[in-house]
Amino acid sequence: MNKKISTNIKLGIFVLSGMVFLILMLYMIGKNQNLFGSTFELKARFRNVQGLRPGNNIRYSGIQAGTVKKLNILNDTTIEVVMLVDLKMKDYIRKSAVASIGTDGLMGNKLVNINPSGEPGSLVEDGDVLSIRKPVNTDDLLETLANTNHDVAIIAAQLKITVQRINNSTAAWKILNDESLPQNIHSSVAQIRTATAKAVDMVNNLNTLVTGVKEGKGSLGAILRDTSFAHNLNEAILKIKNVSEDADSLTSELNKVVQQFRDESMNGSGTITALLKDSVMAKNVTKSLDNIQKGTEGFNEIMNAVKKNFLFRSYFRKREKQKRNESVQLPAIQ
Amino acid sequence: MVLPAKTARFFQETGDVAKFTGRFFSQWFRPRYEVTEFFRQCFVIGYKSLPLIGLTGFIMGLVLTMQLRPSLVEYGVESQLPAMVGIAIVREIGPVIMALIFAGKIGSSIGAELGSMKVTEQIDAMEVSGTNPFKYLVVTRVFAATMMLPVLVLLGDAISLYGSYLGVNIRGITSFRLYWAQIFDNLAFSDVIPAFIKTFFFGFAVGIIGSYKGFHSSKGTEGVGRSANSAVVVSSILIFIIDLIAVQITDLLGFN
Repeated sequence: MNKKISTNIKLGIFVLSGMVFLILMLYMIGKNQNLFGSTFELKARFRNVQGLRPGNNIRYSGIQAGTVKKLNILNDTTIEVVMLVDLKMKDYIRKSAVASIGTDGLMGNKLVNINPSGEPGSLVEDGDVLSIRKPVNTDDLLETLANTNHDVAIIAAQLKITVQRINNSTAAWKILNDESLPQNIHSSVAQIRTATAKAVDMVNNLNTLVTGVKEGKGSLGAILRDTSFAHNLNEAILKIKNVSEDADSLTSELNKVVQQFRDESMNGSGTITALLKDSVMAKNVTKSLDNIQKGTEGFNEIMNAVKKNFLFRSYFRKREKQKRNESVQLPAIQ
Repeated sequence: MVLPAKTARFFQETGDVAKFTGRFFSQWFRPRYEVTEFFRQCFVIGYKSLPLIGLTGFIMGLVLTMQLRPSLVEYGVESQLPAMVGIAIVREIGPVIMALIFAGKIGSSIGAELGSMKVTEQIDAMEVSGTNPFKYLVVTRVFAATMMLPVLVLLGDAISLYGSYLGVNIRGITSFRLYWAQIFDNLAFSDVIPAFIKTFFFGFAVGIIGSYKGFHSSKGTEGVGRSANSAVVVSSILIFIIDLIAVQITDLLGFN
């Protein structure tokens, strides 16, 4: 009886372990297909799904996020991919995320990549339709490559012609074969080098000059740096302007006078003209002036006589004293 | 209509097997049930076969992995080795190879056991003593074989996958976690369920052919050997035929 129980226990363990493995296997497969655990649906509409099948993987930024549930053909140009996405991903995927169809490796299964677009947006909800990016189609890729190949072929043909021409050209080969050419080039380069060194010196000098001016050294610097100078210059210019305005008015006045004078001289009227034109009068005037001079001399004699006269001497002395006092006081004030 | 003797015998035997199968089902549904004997047979057929199946499975996984590696390396898809081995073992090689080993061990033992009972007239003695020999000997064995082979194949698959893991790690380094994930990433229910279901048929075929051959053995001890031998051969062929039918059905149902 004991032996029988032990055989039954062994049998039980055997059968149970087999069943456990079966269930484990089914569970693992189911988990990969998101049959268990909570999921939510997202949709994306493509023009071409390139062989995507239900059960293909969904990746969010490269992380396994779910599987394709089914493909609906909406119309002749739109295929809707219904995706079962892990509920945990709901806290990360935004409405602005972009879905695209990619390949697992170079030759692997198709998959849907969901990538954040970087634009702000609220988190996705169940049944949202994501925007898509046009998938990279291998056919398109090959077509582009074919174009590139064509271009490369043309370029190669042109290059071939160029090379042939160079090969056939005697001038090019003469240049290449000329052994004195390197020597010449070498000396030229040396000369260029000295010239450059000189240019560098020059530039350095200029630089020091400019820095000096900048720092306010020298007269140019002073002129450039001194702000009061500018002010003064401004004032001076203002004054010059005023003066020139005055001169302007003066000139216009003068002009008027001259005009008048000319008019008068033309007409022969007016005192000045008369004066200028009348020679008799001029003689008279000269005479009068002579007389006046004589008169004044006489007056001067009289005045000296008066000064020496006792009646007026005291008065003149007082005057002289007063004058002297004023001339002494004046420097003291200054 | 006269048929060649061999052809006639073949058709006759096929008919006999069919009749035998029908008898099995009619006896199986009818009480009283030989529960204790059934469990004893389960122990003998299932549990006692585990070391053999396990060893075969382990070696098979290891060898298959090592054999597949060079060609996969050539195509630069060495990383797909676990996926490939996993699908091969779970879908086809596991069930078929283990069923063949099972046929070799259990089919022959049932055939020899029942054959010797037949030739020593123990079965007749049973009938006389009031026990239903068919129910006691055949139904329990066939049913036990049907039930035990799937369990054996499942455990054999597990051991085989572990052997394959070691095989992967002989040349490269793959963590068990990654290996495990890769295997189950590439498996689908459509891989596991049909393979699991067909193992029941394999087990049933082995049990029914072994029992038929034993139950109908004749001509003394020579007949026992012959029935044991033909039990293995016929059940092996039957396993392949069932496998062919199974793959057609799964293909028709769209599981491939």
